[in-house]
Amino acid sequence: MDPTNRRPVYENSSNMVDPSGNFNPNQLYSQFDSGNLCFDSRMKQPLLEFPASFDNPTIQRIESAPFVNNQAMNWDPRAMLTNLSFLEQKIHQLQDLIRSIITDEAQFSVQPNELAAQQQLVTADLTCIIIQLISTAGTLLPSVKNTIVANSPPIQQLASIIGSTSSSGSNGASHQNKDFSSEGQTNKEYEDMLRDLSENGIEGIDPIQVEDQEVKDSEDGGADGENLPPGSYEVLQLEKEEILAPHTHFCSICGKGFKRDANLRMHMRGHGDEYKTPAALAKPTKEASSEPVLVKRYSCPFIGCKRNKEHKKFHPLKTILCVKNHYKRTHCDKRYTCSRCNTKKFSVIADLKTHEKHCGRDKWLCSCGTTFSRKDKLFGHVALFQGHTPALPSEETKVKEINKVEGVSTKSVEHQDVLDIKALDNDREYFSPMNFDSFNFGGLDEFPRTAFDPSESSFLFLPPGSCGFDQKNGEN
Amino acid sequence: MSGDEEEEWGRRRRRIAGDPVTAALSADLLALILDRVAAARDRKAWRLVSRGFLRAEALHRRALRPLRRDALPRLLRRFPALELLDLSACPALDDASLAAAALGGAGRRLRSVCLARASGVGWRGLEAAAVADAAGLRELLLDKCLGVTDVGLAKVAVGCPALDRLSVKWCLEISDIGIDLLAKKCPDLRSLDISYIKVTNESLRSISSLRKLEDLAMVGCYFIDDDGMRILSRGCNSFQSIDVSRCENVSSGGLASLLEGHHLLRSINARDCVSELTSCFLSKLSVISNTLNILKLDGFQLSVSALKIIGMSCKNLVEIGLGKCKGVTDEGISELVANCAELRTINLVCCHLLTDDALFSIANNCKKVECLGLESCSLITEKGLDQLTICCSSVKELDLTDCNVNDAGLKCMSRCSELTALKLGLCASISDEGLAYIGSNCEKLQELDLYRCTAVTDNGLAAIAAGCKSLKRLNLCYCTQISDTGMKHLSCLEELTDLELRGLVRVTSSGITSLAMGCKSLVKLELKRCYSVDDAGLWALARYSENLRQLTISYCPVTGLGLCNLLGTLRCLQDVKLVHLSWVSIEGFELALRASCGRLKKLKLLSGLQEVLSPELLQMLQSRGCRIRWVDKPLVFKG
Repeated sequence: MDPTNRRPVYENSSNMVDPSGNFNPNQLYSQFDSGNLCFDSRMKQPLLEFPASFDNPTIQRIESAPFVNNQAMNWDPRAMLTNLSFLEQKIHQLQDLIRSIITDEAQFSVQPNELAAQQQLVTADLTCIIIQLISTAGTLLPSVKNTIVANSPPIQQLASIIGSTSSSGSNGASHQNKDFSSEGQTNKEYEDMLRDLSENGIEGIDPIQVEDQEVKDSEDGGADGENLPPGSYEVLQLEKEEILAPHTHFCSICGKGFKRDANLRMHMRGHGDEYKTPAALAKPTKEASSEPVLVKRYSCPFIGCKRNKEHKKFHPLKTILCVKNHYKRTHCDKRYTCSRCNTKKFSVIADLKTHEKHCGRDKWLCSCGTTFSRKDKLFGHVALFQGHTPALPSEETKVKEINKVEGVSTKSVEHQDVLDIKALDNDREYFSPMNFDSFNFGGLDEFPRTAFDPSESSFLFLPPGSCGFDQKNGEN
Repeated sequence: MSGDEEEEWGRRRRRIAGDPVTAALSADLLALILDRVAAARDRKAWRLVSRGFLRAEALHRRALRPLRRDALPRLLRRFPALELLDLSACPALDDASLAAAALGGAGRRLRSVCLARASGVGWRGLEAAAVADAAGLRELLLDKCLGVTDVGLAKVAVGCPALDRLSVKWCLEISDIGIDLLAKKCPDLRSLDISYIKVTNESLRSISSLRKLEDLAMVGCYFIDDDGMRILSRGCNSFQSIDVSRCENVSSGGLASLLEGHHLLRSINARDCVSELTSCFLSKLSVISNTLNILKLDGFQLSVSALKIIGMSCKNLVEIGLGKCKGVTDEGISELVANCAELRTINLVCCHLLTDDALFSIANNCKKVECLGLESCSLITEKGLDQLTICCSSVKELDLTDCNVNDAGLKCMSRCSELTALKLGLCASISDEGLAYIGSNCEKLQELDLYRCTAVTDNGLAAIAAGCKSLKRLNLCYCTQISDTGMKHLSCLEELTDLELRGLVRVTSSGITSLAMGCKSLVKLELKRCYSVDDAGLWALARYSENLRQLTISYCPVTGLGLCNLLGTLRCLQDVKLVHLSWVSIEGFELALRASCGRLKKLKLLSGLQEVLSPELLQMLQSRGCRIRWVDKPLVFKG
């Protein structure tokens, strides 16, 4: 791994700390990826993970101490004291280091390479402090067993976060760190990107402050069945306009909008030969997917909605597509009416298409007006209510259908399963290729990947200008 | 009801008021008298007395079996007290007519409706019927209503919660789902017939919750097996009678578990169900020894010891069916009857090994025996019959088909003055002498089968006709010596309804004429291969046999004219077999069938006619509910 490509991680972690300067470790740690985290739900504190690729042996060594403590399970005040003094020592070291950086910077113009090396040092030290702090705190929790798998803040992971975090911040451990905000081309580039983002209506993409640190067991399944504890993921919120925008990819030259970035790339070819290179035409690299990234979850901008981050029982949405569909379904008019039955209305066109596939097949009708797609369901309903009887809309086809139904019923079961999966996966309609066109959502071709690689999704809604910043880097 | 009709009724009412007899006898009194007039013929006579009597009878009528759907609404209005409606004879009964009938007869007191073989009836008709009859309907027979599906059954179940007896035999579209709903909605069911429908053990699970269910028939349910029997045995039904005949997957183990759960069983019918009876079933029989009355084990392999155990365990047996059982010997029968003194009905059809000894033991032990089936027990002689008739004077039904009975045997049988049914088919040695014994003593005889008793002549018929005045069914097929004289003798049998004269080549139209004039009740007549019966016979039938419903005149030398007259005149005729009428031209068929005005329900024709008859005619027949059976034989014309 080339250190020069690393982002100023330290600054990044400092961003997690609220501007007042109060150090809030929970908040800090909560930002880290917990995708592979072995998390005990009884533990009231999110933990960090140790990536296998971590390349700093010293930290691993240090890290082994709390493990022993932890296995002992009994709280040992002496060990605690040792840990704390170790921490103190470490913090002092770090302070010295940073002071030396400041002085260096004041005297010479620092090469980016050197700066990066220093950054890495700082990061390693900070990581060490964090781990120590966590494990120290962990010894106080009796229920914690071997779950304290301390995590080094994965450098590359933090690097990817940085794009979506606001830049200024303070560090509880080392106080204000002006160096990072004032220095570095890289940082400037991020700021540019952020500006781009806000220009394109993606405001408020900021790490939210998780106020409620208490994790209720019932809420553990926060993000639709997955066991993400609140705070173990980053919460993003799109604005209404962005959600409802028909296009998500815009040509940086002529401004034309596209639903998919593949289409945009095709379009870009017309703007010059430089867009015809294989590199320019290739899909945005998958490299990011190999690096663990902080899990992203989304919040609905509608205040009062359960999917809104302000809600007490906030359930985050898994992908941007979920956000779009959720917002349209829940907070928009149902504009699409089924042309066959003229009764069912939908706000998401894919829902209409799904319904149209079944419309008219719900031929099992009760006298109360309820329809069922399966006979046994109708009969169960009739058995339940006094006075209800089955009523069929048309008799001609009756006997013929009866035979069919036996065949269909098994089919519909299968279909049901598919639907269930759909619901589970929160609107991953890419199951049916037919629905592709109906999406207003640009990055659809990438969408399947998002299922396995959530990190991608954060870039999906980025306007082309910022989206292609990797390429820009390459060009520069 | 049209305006004219109402006016007509109004006039009738005024006349009734002026009728002196009706004025003297109030409607209540007439109704009380009518309670004691049961026979259809007497009723008819009553109706002919006066308009007042006609009206009283209409108000009193409880049962109706209409033959045409068109008249249904009017009939239902005319007979407001109807309780039993049998629509099985209505051809092409469909939803619309049933709905119209139900509308016409709003506020019915119907308790029982039979819709057997109404394949046009679907859920709409049933809904209409169920709604109109509301909760009052107690009995519904839907046998072979092929159009009835789960939805139709659901309509019935929801509309008639008080249903007491239901038969969905042969309703092939009904599945477990419908039965399940039925079980939930009609908790009062006492009798249920689910024969031949494709239901599984799941249905039995639903049925097992019916507390009042006493009688369950599931003939030929191939998907029901021993597991289903176990479900039933654990259920909360109060079974008295169970019919699992032809359920091929039910073994005696399943039957045994059934016995375990239901100690009050009175009737078990396991005909053609399993081939072997295991000891576990036999040992369980003792559990229900006190209640079991009827046990039908036709088709089983039964050893002497098995029969002995049955006899020992079931002392109260009233009826036992051992037809076609292998291994039934005289010894087995003697072991069985040794303990069963109550036996009244014994079916030993095709137990070829039985000899007179079996009859001796039956005669000595079962003094109350009334019904004995001995078909194909060819080793039986007059000695056995002698012993039987001496000891068991109450014998009512005897089936001796193919038993080589002779006149001596008939002489013995004539001791049984209670005899109502006697089957002597294929007993070629029977002569007039033997029939004379029967005719002299068996006054109550209602059914006599002389199939291929070739020695019987007109004299024998004379004896029978003179002695057995209440004869209703007579089979004289291939008794070739019988001639017109015999027919003249038979013409005094006023109650005769079924008569089979197949292959009586000596009988001519004059014989048929005398028969038709005398036997007014004739409903079913077979004249196949009566080569001497021509148009004159048909004219007579058309003129006199008003009640004729079923007629076979295949191979008779009749012409189109006679056929046309016959089909045009007889208003009850529904089932006609017209195969090999070589003297009838195509135009003759065409005209005759058009003349039937769509009254026909069943028709048998040569397949050659399918091409030459006009398609409109065939279409009309089919739309009126006529099912045509095409016989694949060459078409011959002699005209």
